[in-house]
Parts: sequence; structure tokens; C-alpha cells
Amino acid sequence: MALRWAVFGLAALLLNFPVIATAVTAFKAPGEVTRNPSLWIEEPTLANFAAVLTASDRLNIYHHLGNSLVAALIGAVLPLVVAFPLAWAMVRRGVGRGVLFPVVVNLRALPLIIFAIPLYMMYAAAGLLDTRLGLGLVLAVVNLPLAVLLLVNAVGDIPAELEEAARMDGARLPRLLLRVVLPLCRPAFVTAFVFGFITAWNEFLFGLILTTREAVPVTVGASFFFATAGGGVQWGMAAAVMVVAALPPLVLGLVMYRRITGSVMAGAVKG
Amino acid sequence: MTRTRIMLAAAGAAALAAGAADAQVTVLGWPGGPEETALRAVAELYNARPEVAPENRVELLFTSRDGFFDKLQVDLAAGSTAFDVNLLATYSIGRYAPFMEPVTLSDEAEAVFGETVLSTMQFDGQQYGVPTDLSLHFLYYRRDLIDALLADEAVRARYGDIAEEHLGERLEPKAPEDWTWDDFVANALYFSRSVNPDSPTRYGTVIQAKNLLFNMMVFHSWPRSYGADWLDEEGRVVVDSEAWRGALERAKLLFDLGATPPDSTAYEYAEANAAFASGQVAAMVQWNAAATELTEAQPDTAITAPPAGPEGRFTHIHGLGLGLNAAAPNREGALAFLEWLSTEEAALAYARAGGAPGLAPETAAKIADERPDLVQVGEFASTYGFVMRGGTSAEALSVYEAQAQEFTGYWAGTQDLDTAIANAEAAMTRLLQ
Amino acid sequence: MRSRAFENAVLASPLVLFLLAILGFPALLSLVYAVSETTFRTLTAPRFVGGANFAAVWADGAFWRAAWFSLRFGAITAVLQCALGLFLAVYLYPLIRRHGWMVAVLIVPMIVAPAMMGLMYRLVLHEFVGPVPHYLYLWFGWSPAFLSPANVFATVVAAETLQWTPFAFLLFLAAYGAIPQDLREAAMVDGTRPWRLFWRIELPLMMPTVFVALFVRFIDGFRVFDNIYTLVGAGPGGATTSLSIYIFETFLRRAEIGKAMAAAVLLFLASTLLFVAARALVLRGREGRG
Repeated sequence: MALRWAVFGLAALLLNFPVIATAVTAFKAPGEVTRNPSLWIEEPTLANFAAVLTASDRLNIYHHLGNSLVAALIGAVLPLVVAFPLAWAMVRRGVGRGVLFPVVVNLRALPLIIFAIPLYMMYAAAGLLDTRLGLGLVLAVVNLPLAVLLLVNAVGDIPAELEEAARMDGARLPRLLLRVVLPLCRPAFVTAFVFGFITAWNEFLFGLILTTREAVPVTVGASFFFATAGGGVQWGMAAAVMVVAALPPLVLGLVMYRRITGSVMAGAVKG
Repeated sequence: MTRTRIMLAAAGAAALAAGAADAQVTVLGWPGGPEETALRAVAELYNARPEVAPENRVELLFTSRDGFFDKLQVDLAAGSTAFDVNLLATYSIGRYAPFMEPVTLSDEAEAVFGETVLSTMQFDGQQYGVPTDLSLHFLYYRRDLIDALLADEAVRARYGDIAEEHLGERLEPKAPEDWTWDDFVANALYFSRSVNPDSPTRYGTVIQAKNLLFNMMVFHSWPRSYGADWLDEEGRVVVDSEAWRGALERAKLLFDLGATPPDSTAYEYAEANAAFASGQVAAMVQWNAAATELTEAQPDTAITAPPAGPEGRFTHIHGLGLGLNAAAPNREGALAFLEWLSTEEAALAYARAGGAPGLAPETAAKIADERPDLVQVGEFASTYGFVMRGGTSAEALSVYEAQAQEFTGYWAGTQDLDTAIANAEAAMTRLLQ
Repeated sequence: MRSRAFENAVLASPLVLFLLAILGFPALLSLVYAVSETTFRTLTAPRFVGGANFAAVWADGAFWRAAWFSLRFGAITAVLQCALGLFLAVYLYPLIRRHGWMVAVLIVPMIVAPAMMGLMYRLVLHEFVGPVPHYLYLWFGWSPAFLSPANVFATVVAAETLQWTPFAFLLFLAAYGAIPQDLREAAMVDGTRPWRLFWRIELPLMMPTVFVALFVRFIDGFRVFDNIYTLVGAGPGGATTSLSIYIFETFLRRAEIGKAMAAAVLLFLASTLLFVAARALVLRGREGRG
């Protein structure tokens, strides 16, 4: 057991090293950042965080957070909704197996930003430019391949006999999908939702190009703190912003990990 | 706690009020930094003027700084009506001009800014913008180190030895005001521990050489002082010349001998500043915008113009400015604001609020007490400033990109000089001819 | 039978309609651009040039170097992440069953935006500001150039692996946890040793997840953009240009829209073919096993 703990400690330290180092930097005064690169803070200060917060007279951070939240929720939930029925039909009946599946899944390999221009034109015509819905819809496309992949994988893991039994009981298709298949796929739903939400929250380029004022997400809104072009990077302040901006998805991840690990444990117990 | 809350509430109210105001000329500015502060100040001043009708008041819009020009490109190309007036820069003027319209300046403009600075906002003989901020390069150096070097007879010999060994010429330590680029190189070698183990600093200089177009601008002052240009008078690409080769080779020497940090092939502005600020670098060529940051970190930092070459002393200059979106919903209002922005009143207000306009000597003298640095910027710009032939063309940005790709590759050792020059020449020929 | 076809259509329609609504027009227009000479000035009046863009991409050495970079990067990082993630999931499982919070600690890096992670490394690896070079210099008098052409590939592979191993770890943890406990117990009763249990029983049961994880990690590594772009950009001489970076720069920075689209079409065709082939192989393998 001691060895396992040691492995865990080492992995935790190694994987999180940049995050830890950045968090440490966020508590250093500007002068100390260039003078003292070690992980030890000589004079801890909250000045960087204060600077980030006082800059919010120019940057309405709550507005940006709200935009990110709405867009990321649309971007995480919508793919699950549209992918679930297809995933079942694909596994059980081979629907779309030949063309649709490879096409959708391989969208993930494309830098989707190449669609920025036509999307922009289309959005301008449809009034979706600079709206949370518009941003959310694009983020849903970004997340679609992973949702399809994970849900197909999950439905494939459900023993067909379970469904047959429900069919015998006279359950019609919608009922079968919602009452039998959906609960069994819950772990995959949770996993796909968490991954999708994080991806959507962290997205930058579409947020940059498709919004200007009303729907600007926090990744874009906060970027003027650590932008590299033009003015300088104040490393301490940039670190503070990185810490602040990473907090919301972090909280979500930490809340959802219970669901993930919960389903992991459920699987163990079920067996 | 309560104070924070009140502050946030006030911020929220201010944001709402700004949105509700019936301001009708939307100006897209450069976000963050002193440019934003200064633009806010002049916008306020303009909106308070009695002759400005409520429907022609200025409302400011700031998008992201990262990817600003990528977004602007898409916005303009798709005919966005989200703003009437937008930012533009000398190096991107040719790319954005097709989506913009020329502006009219006030009668004072030429006296306020001077010909050189106004020309940073011209394309095809027409004025596309009102200059707001001017960027150029300084030579930053550590006065304490140079003074010690000049005072000590014993180390002068060592300095001469190093220069002789690597540059083939015995050079004496000199005051940076009198440096040629060879002096710059000799000094960089002397202050590098890889060459001179007794050096007080780890590196003699730092060259930001990430594959990034802005880094090429910093480098350009060097070949220019040997007579380099992009095009000759007949419009032929002249990158395969002694001037370009010589400067590239000398810079390469600094990389090879460890006179600039080994990772500096991945450095940009911020990293280079951090290196200088740490006290481990003796001198560097950097944007004028870094003056405050570097001087604060190293109080002994002194500033002068970049070193000279056989053709004289040069600094790349470019301007940021504001121009008219061709799809502007409020054209008249926008033109009126831009015309006012080119008056002395506006330029001085902009400077007082922290902006860095390139001002003609007579104008700069009027605020010399408050902004002595602007006198220096104006003087350097008019005396040493240059724009490469083709530097405002439609493809200027792509030329910088191509050079960055090839020249950084040479410095980092992924290709030799002939390949780099040949590739750059091919790309520039395709782009400029 | 007819109603079944109708049912299938209904089941597939949400996704198909959604994709058509959002990507239908962009995809169509992109195809037009791919066979046209298009700049930002001629967006509404592209000039048809046939296969010229494809020929230009095909002849562009930078495109192939980018493709090779992406392929290598995707394959190496996918294997590293899956091996490391699988090891952590299986080895730490007994602990994690009792201490669920451990998962939370290990998935933190994945939650940070990749672009921000790139920026963090700029800080962490900086010779004068970063702790890594600081301690290496302090303890070993050694100041390696992490981002020099010789080392930059290893550095970005390490950065990508450290950030996304948690992804593979999570998938494997779920799959490992889903293996029925009685299967393990029965094997234990038979005297099967843990190592053998893993190879003969547990790993085969996890194979579908292994394929999914390898595939997703490969695709994500292959299309890598944000973290490399913020850390080193296209690299000195283009040394770290992935296909995504190539397409992005061709598109927005060099404004060669037609060429960028042609490259994207080639990329999409290649990845789809690769995917179909890989799936056929896997399916045949499975059938072969019985």
C-alpha cells in the first residue's frame, strides 16, 4: 500500500507541476517573480489577485462567466441529446455505421476554425452572431464526435438480453430508450458531459470570432491580462488570472468526479 | 468585503449605463494597456464637446487582445457592422484597406504628427487612419556594467581579445551611444559566461527569436543599418544581399556562442524582458513599450537608439491608428470623430492619458514636462525611423511571417543561411511581385 | 418493416438535422473555396481554379512536414498516455475505491485550458523565471534549452502527455471498475496470480475501452493546436508546425483560404480512410478471436 501511495504522490506532483508552479507564482510580487524563480515564496502577496479583481471595473467578469456557463452547457448537453438515439440505432440496427459514424467521428480531427468564415456569414444572416445560443451551437459541434464515440461504446456494452427482456414486457421504443438504455449508459453520459463541458468552457477561437460584446466568453474576456502581443506579460498577474479562470471548470470537475467515481464503484458493486 | 461588493456593484452599474447610453459611433480599440486608458480619456473629452450630437457620441468596444487581428480580419471581410471605427497598424494597413475607407484629417494634423508619422497610416497614397501610438526600438543597457567596463583598464584587453577572436577586429569598449552593431556583438560576447567565464551576467544580450512576425521587426533595424531593404527601386526583391546576410550571420554568431539564452529561439517580448529583468543580461534591443517594465526591474537600465551600421542608425517604426470601417453604420459621425482625433487638442489629451503618439518636435515640446519620453520617441522616429519598401503593402504581414519562419530556422540551426535566404526570397517574390 | 425504417430515420434525424443545420452550409462553401482562388477580398466571388489548390498543397513540403509531425506526435502521445493512464488506473484502483478524492487530484491538469497550459509552460520552463530550470541549475549546474530545436519535440510530447494522461486514466478507471467483481474473485480462488489475472482476464475485457482511448488520444494529439501554439508557435523554421497549425496559419495569417480548405479536405479524407481501415482491422481481429 505504501508503494501505491508513493506512486500516487509522484503522479499527482508530476501531472500537476505546471499548475502548482503557476499557482505559486500568482502569490509572488512582480519584483519577486523575476528575482526568485524557486517554489518558495519570500513575501506572499494577494496583490496579483487584487489587481485582477480591480480590473473588473473594465471587465464585467460575471457577464463573461454567465456567457461561458450558458454556452458551455448548450455545448455539452446538446451533443448528448442528438447523439443518444443515433448511438442506439447504430449499435442495435447498424444505422449510419458505414458513412455517418466515420464522418462524424473524424470531425474531431479537423481544425473546425476553418469554417469560421461561412459560419460567420450564416450567423450574421440568422441573427446568431454574438449570442450565447450561437456560440453554444458551435461548441456542440465541437463536442459531437466524442459524444457519439462514448455513447456508441456504452450502448455496445449493454447486454442485448437486458433489452430483450424489457421488450418482452411490452415496452415501446421511446420507453425502452429512456427507461432501460439511458440509465445503463449513465456513466458514459456523465463522462461525455464533463469532457464536453470542459472543452466548451476552454474553447477560445470560436468565442473570439463569433462574439463581440454580448456573448463574449470568459476565455476571451480575460485574455487581455496575459495577451502576448503588444504590451507585456506581467507573469504574476497572468498566473493569477490563469488560476481564477481555471476555477469554475475545476469546481465542476471536482463535483462531477463523485458521479464518475460513483458510477465506477456502482459497476464494481453491481458485478 | 463590503468594499469589494460596492465596487463590483458600481462596475455592474457602469457597464449597464455604458450599454444604455445613446452613443452611436462605435470605436474598436486596442484592449488592455495604456492605449485603452488613453482612448477612454479622449472619447470622454470628445463626447463632452457641445457640437457633438448625442447620436454621434463615441462608444468604445474592446475585444480580445489575443487574436485581435485574426478576429478583425474576419469581421472586416464579412462586412461587420458592429463598429464604425477600428484599429489598424502600419504592417496590416494593406491587408485591411480594401475593407476600409480613407479618412480626412484636420488641418493641424501635419503640424501635430509630422510627415513620417502620418505616412505610417497611408496606403496607396491615401490616408487610411489617424495615428495614435507609435512603436519603435530602443537599445536598453545596464549602465552599471558598462561604466565598470569602461573604468577598468585591465578588462579592456580581455574585451579586445574577445572581439579579435570572434569578429576578426580588435574593438575597444565604448559608450552604447556610439556603438556600431559590431560593438553590440563584441559587448554581447564579453558579457556572456560561455565566452568570458568572468562575466558578471550569464548572457550578453537576449534576442527574441520565436517564429513570430513581430520579432522580425525588432531584427530589421540591424540589416537596415547595412542598407537592407525588401525591394529595390524597381520593385525587385533584394533579400539576397550582403546587408541581410551580414546581419543574419552576426546574429547567428550570438546564438552559436551562447551570447543569448539557448531557449531564446522560443522567446517573444515577455520572455526577453523577463531575462533582462532578472539581471542576467547586459544589453538588448527591444520595443520602446518595455521602458517602464525594464527600468523598474533594473534601476540601472539606460536607454539609447539602436546601434549604427555603415549606412547610419535606424529603428523600425510602425504606428497604431484608427480608421473607418467601409461598412460603418454611422459614417458621418465616425469621420467627424476621426477628424477631431487628428487635432492637437486630441493628440495632447491622448498623450497625457498615457498613450504614446508619435508627435512632431514642436508638439512634443508642449508636454515635455509630463511626458519627456515622447520627446525622445518623436526624435528617434524622425531621425532614425524607417519603413521597409513594401512594408505597408497588402502582403506585408505575410512577408514578416515568411521571414520569421526562415530566419529563425537559420538561427536555430534547422537550415543553413543559403536555404533560408532562398526560401525567403521565393516567398517574398511571390508575395510582393 | 416499413415502420422500422421510419423508426430508424427518426432515431438518426436529430443528429443529422443538427449537423446539416450548423455545418451544411459551411461545409459546402468550404468545398467551393477548396476548388477556387479565394482571399478575404473575394469571399463572395471565388474564382474557380479546379484542382490547383490541391496541387499546391500536395507540392508544399511544409504540408508534409506538418503531417509527419502530427502523425508522430499523435501516435507517441497516445501510446504514452494510454500506457501511463492504464497503469495508474489499475495500480491505484485499490486505493481509489476507498479514497475517491484521489481521482479529483489526478484529473486537474485536464481541466485547465490547453492554451493556458501552454502559457503555464512558458512560465515554468523559462530560464530566469521558471522553477524547473532554476532547480536544475541550482542542483546540477545545468540549464537545458527545453525549447531548442533539438529538444522541443520531446518537451511538447511531455507537456501533452502530462496534461492528457488523466483522460485515459478516467476512461480506464471506469472500465476497470465495471469488470464484475465475482470474475476476479473466481480467478483468485483458482489461484490465478494478479499479473496473470490482469493479462488474461481484465485487459481483454477492457480492450474496447483501450481502443476508444487510443483512438481519441491519437486524434486529439494529431490535431494538437492550442498548447503548442501558445508555447512555441510554429517553431523555429516551422519545427513544431502541426497540421492544425499549418491550416490555421495558411487560412488566417497567410489568407490563402482556398489552399487551407484543400488541406483540410485532404486531412479529412485521410483521417476518415484511416479510421475505416482501423475499424475494419479491429473488427476482423475480434471476429478472429471468436
